This record gives sequence, structure tokens and C-alpha cells, in this order.
Amino acid sequence: MRILVVEDEKKVASFIKKGLQEEHYAVDIAYDGEEGLALAQINEYDLILLDIMLPKLDGMEVLRRIRRNGFGVPILILTAKDSVEDIVTGLDTGSDDYLTKPFSFAELVARVRALLRRKAKEKTDILTIGDLSLSTSTHRVKRGTREIELTPKEYALLEYFMRNPNRILTRALITEHVWDYHFDPETNVIDVYVNYLRKKIDQGFEKKLIHTIRGSGYMMKDEP
Amino acid sequence: MIFGNIRFKLTLWYIIILGIVLTSFSTFLYLTLTRSLYKGIDTKIRSIAEVIASSSTNPYSQYSFSNLDRMLKESFGVKPLTKFIQVLDESGEVGRKSDNLRQFQLPISIRALKNASQGKLTFETTKALGEYPLRMVTVPVIRRRHIINIVQVATSLEEVEEVLKTLLLILWITVPSVLLVASLGGLFLANKALRPVDEITKTARMITSKSFNQRIKLRKTRDEIGRLAETFNDMISRLGRSFKQIRQFTADASHELRTPLTILKGEIEVGLRRRRRPEEYKEILASNLEEVNHMSQIVDDLLFLSKADMGEAHLEKHRVNLAKLVSEVHAQAQTIAMTKDIRIHISKDVDGVMIGDRLKLRQLLLNLVDNGIKYTPEGGEMRISLEKDDGRFKLRIIDNGIGIAPEDQAHIFDRFFRVDKARSREAGGSGLGLSICKWIVEAHGGEITVESDLGTGSIFTVTLPLAPPDGGMTATETSPPKG
Repeated sequence: MRILVVEDEKKVASFIKKGLQEEHYAVDIAYDGEEGLALAQINEYDLILLDIMLPKLDGMEVLRRIRRNGFGVPILILTAKDSVEDIVTGLDTGSDDYLTKPFSFAELVARVRALLRRKAKEKTDILTIGDLSLSTSTHRVKRGTREIELTPKEYALLEYFMRNPNRILTRALITEHVWDYHFDPETNVIDVYVNYLRKKIDQGFEKKLIHTIRGSGYMMKDEP
Repeated sequence: MIFGNIRFKLTLWYIIILGIVLTSFSTFLYLTLTRSLYKGIDTKIRSIAEVIASSSTNPYSQYSFSNLDRMLKESFGVKPLTKFIQVLDESGEVGRKSDNLRQFQLPISIRALKNASQGKLTFETTKALGEYPLRMVTVPVIRRRHIINIVQVATSLEEVEEVLKTLLLILWITVPSVLLVASLGGLFLANKALRPVDEITKTARMITSKSFNQRIKLRKTRDEIGRLAETFNDMISRLGRSFKQIRQFTADASHELRTPLTILKGEIEVGLRRRRRPEEYKEILASNLEEVNHMSQIVDDLLFLSKADMGEAHLEKHRVNLAKLVSEVHAQAQTIAMTKDIRIHISKDVDGVMIGDRLKLRQLLLNLVDNGIKYTPEGGEMRISLEKDDGRFKLRIIDNGIGIAPEDQAHIFDRFFRVDKARSREAGGSGLGLSICKWIVEAHGGEITVESDLGTGSIFTVTLPLAPPDGGMTATETSPPKG
């Protein structure tokens, strides 16, 4: 899951990035409104965390333009403005959630999870495909009764697969949602990670969940 | 309760005063009229009595009492029907009397007799005859020091009594009615006069810290109430403005403190989410310390300004050698500037002292130089110049930094005003430095101004008064600037 953080205060942006990365999210940072708007329109983010008081372009204006251009990405406003009017305006302009600073990081992560879940129309924080289950809050993965240990990157990749079952996921899509913009698309890193993941999830099980779609990419599905 | 009401009090006072005036007037009227009526009657009966007495003393008309009625007619032209006349001889026996007395006779009192024996006349009121009292005069007729006769003339007081009775009746009716009407009128007037006061009260009640848009409707008249309403409206506006300022200031201050708090809370929370290497903890703690320092700076500055606002910031006034102070600050600033490879030139060709607070002046200079360093790019240049101009110190801090847009120059000394929020925070400013500078300068009786061009740099000019030539030193005192 790839998240854009639009925040002009460098240290705030930095700890949010660090914390979210440790939760296996891919995180990009924009330090002003213009940069934020540009990144939001170029890349396909799963969630945007948006500050309101931003240099160059106000956060509300960024929100307005993202929505006007037809982007439905979930947006969480993260700001020091805490009056009821500010919150109402923020939500009415098209944001999906509103969190005021200073905030608890645990709460931020929970809200991020909830927004991503809502996007995938899921009701709980447990994703399941067949007998494979993944908890987005505890990051525990199980196949049947067996607990599976994953590296952060493998976890991020699996989460993305499980949020998009029965759908062909091209390498470009995987790059966009699992890696941040420092990723070099010329490498075969994605194939390498998919293979790691296969070994841990499908090896030793009769029913394979990760399928290769020749010439396009990969797909996760329950049927053979 | 009713006496807590000014309109009733006013009316009551009005009625009491009017009542006193009316009662005194009525009493005076009644007494004066009574006296003048009695006096008129007395004059009349006396003159009749004297005419009779003189005619009896006239040697040519002795025993002319024989026909009193005729004599009176001759003397006065008409026969006074309402006058009763009676003549007594020296032994007190009734002699002649006027016809209208018929079988009655006028009484004579011992006092009258006594007075008569001394040759004096006596006025009395007697109830002897009929329904109404009589007013009577008793005059002795004296010849050769002997009383030979006593003449008594009386008249009925009916008319006088009737007049006085009518007057009393009129007064008894009119005074209370006038008072009643006046009290209603007074109440009406008081109500009318005080209605705007009620309006003011109503408006004042509606005002809370959140609703300063209430105003009293002003009437056209510029009377006392009109002026009160105007003053009141004025006060509401001023209160509203200062509340707005306080609210803005509080919002700004809390926002200013919220950013470091967010960083502290976030960094610590993220740091605690998992076990980390010692270097990572070190990094987090160092960053936390930076934020805590920043917060202390903000709190110190806020405290300084709030003390200054309440007039509690004192200036420890001493003789200060400004040129020396500038050199000291220059030396200190250079070490800070060196990290950004900025050169600070200094030009001071003056000597002289001023009266001021050394610590605060130092803070002023440091703030200004520090501010210049913050907004000057690496490798830039700055200049501090001190000269005397028109009997005052003129201190200029010149940088070739990013400059200030014209629309921002007016606000540069406002609290928490920031041209560029992110840049200023990174530089570690509290957003209050220039407000504090302005306060310090004004507390010393000086002025601070800024000239700037975007991209070219800024010049902050401070003028400060020189010490008086006699070297006199005033005691420590407070002089908070206005505004």
C-alpha cells in the first residue's frame, strides 16, 4: 500500500514516513501543496495524508483539485486546525477523515488501516483468501494453522495481492503500490520478491494461490 | 424592589418635592388671604366706629347718636346694612343701637372694657349672634380724659368664612389631584427618559465573549443617553477588537506550540513502537531536545510579551555605551554567522552613552542580527552601522538576504506573523522576536522601521535617544510602550 504524505514540517513528515514504513507501507513525501498535487496526479496512491496550512498551495485547494480531477483516493486531513468549522469544511470538501495535531501515532495508523479497508470494502482488519489469512493490524499471516514469517517487503506485497484478489496485477501496478518512488523499474526485484513470497505461502500446499499470468503479471486467486 | 427602580425613585422624589411646594404655597395663600380679609373688615368697622365716635365728641352734635342710621347714611352715602352698631354710655349701659340689631345686643368683653378704660380700641371675634361669628371693634369716646361713651361696630364674618371655606375646599381637591397627575406624568417621563437605558441593559446582557456584534440603536438626539449609548457602543467595539486580538494571539500561540508538540509526541511514539539501535534513540532524543528548546524559546518570548503587556516588564536603566555593546554583539554574532559563511561588517564612528536596560538592548541587537542571519543565504553579507543623527543614535542592520514583500512589511512586527512559516521554524524562530524588538525600542523611547526589496535585502533602522548631556541618571522605572 502506497501512501503520500503532504506535510511542510520536515520533522513531522519524517516521523510519519518512518512509522508508516515500519508498518510496511510505501511512503512518499511532498513538502508543499504544489508538489503534493503533482505527485497525487502522477502516481496512483492508496491513501493521501494532507496538511492544510501548506506553502505555495493551500491544503484545501489541493484537496479540491484532486477531487475535481476525478481522483477518488482516500484522503486523511492531518492538521493543527481543530475548530468544528475547519473539520466540517475539510470533510465537506471531499476528505474521508480528519485528524488534528498533535495526534497519537497509533490512532493515525488505525485510521489509515480503516480507510484502506473502506476502500477495499472490507469490514475487518483480517484479509482472507482460501485458507490464507492476514491481519493488517498485527501483521500476522497464517496459512491454515501454520504461522508464516514475512519480511516487511514480502508482507507489503502480500497485502497488496490480498486486497486485489482475482485481478491481474501488472509489474507496473505492483511497483506503484508497494514500492516508493525511489524504486528503479529496470530491475527484476518484483519477480524476485514474488518468488520469495511463493516459497513461503504456496510451497508445501496443494492449492497454489499466486498465479503467473504470462506476459502480464501475477494474480492471486482461490481456484486452481 | 420598587425602590431599586430608578424611575420610581425619581417619581417619588418628584412627588415629595412637588407636594412640599404645593402645600407651602397653599398654606401661604390661605393665611395671606385670611389676614388680608380680616384686615379689610377691621379697617371698615374701625372707620365706621371712629366716624361715630368723632360725631359724638363734636360739641355741635351732642346726642347725635339719636339717629345712627341717618348719620351713617350721611357719612358713608349708603346705609351699611350688614354693620351692627351699638353705643354704650360710661356706665356700660347700652344706649343707642342700629336697627338691624333688633332685640339683640353686642356683647362686650372684659378685655375690651379694660382696653377702653385705657383709651385703646379692641378688635375681637365673637360668636354671640347667629350662625357666623362677628368681627367687632370697641372704641372708647373720650372727652377731657374721661370715657363718656363706648362705640361698638360689628359685622358678620359670613362672607369671609365662605370665601376661606371655598378656598380650602379648592385646595383640598386640587393639590392631591395635581400630585396624582404629576406622579403619573413623572412616571411617564421617567419611563421615557430611561427606556434607552433599558435598551442598553438589554444589549449589555446579550454581550458575551463571542457576540461583540451587538450594538445599541442610536437615536438622532445627542443628549446624555445618546452619548452614553455611543460611548457604550464604542466600548463594545474596543472590547470586541481586543477580544479578537487575544483570541488570535491565543490561537497563534497554541498553534505555535502545537508543532513542536506534534513532533515530540510523534517521534517518541514511533520510537517506542519497536526495539531500536542506540544510535536511533540518540537521534530521536537529539531531535526531541531541539523541539523542547524551541518550545522554551516560545514560552520565554510569550512570557516576556505578556509581562510587557501588563506593564510588569521593568527596564533596569543605567548608562549604556551603545558602541561598545554593538561591538560585543558583533563578535558574538560572527560565530553564529560563520556556520553559514556570512560576513558581518561593522561601521561605527560614534561614541556616547544612552540611558537604558543593557540586557534588553543586547537582546534587541542580537534578535535583529540573528534575524538578518536567518534570512541571508549562505555566503551573504551583513552590515551593522551605528551613527548619530539629529541628536539620536541611528542603528542600522543591513542584510542582502531574501527581503520582505511590501505587503508583508506592515505586519513584520506583529506577533506570530511569518512571511514564510516553514523557513522561520527551521531557523528556530518563535515568531515573536521582532515584536519583542519593537517593544524594547519603544520602551526606550525609540523607533524601529524596516525598508526592504524582495531579493535585494532588508534594512532595519533603530533610532534611540542619547543620554542627556549632564549625565543625569534616572532611577529604574517602567515605561511600557503604547499599542
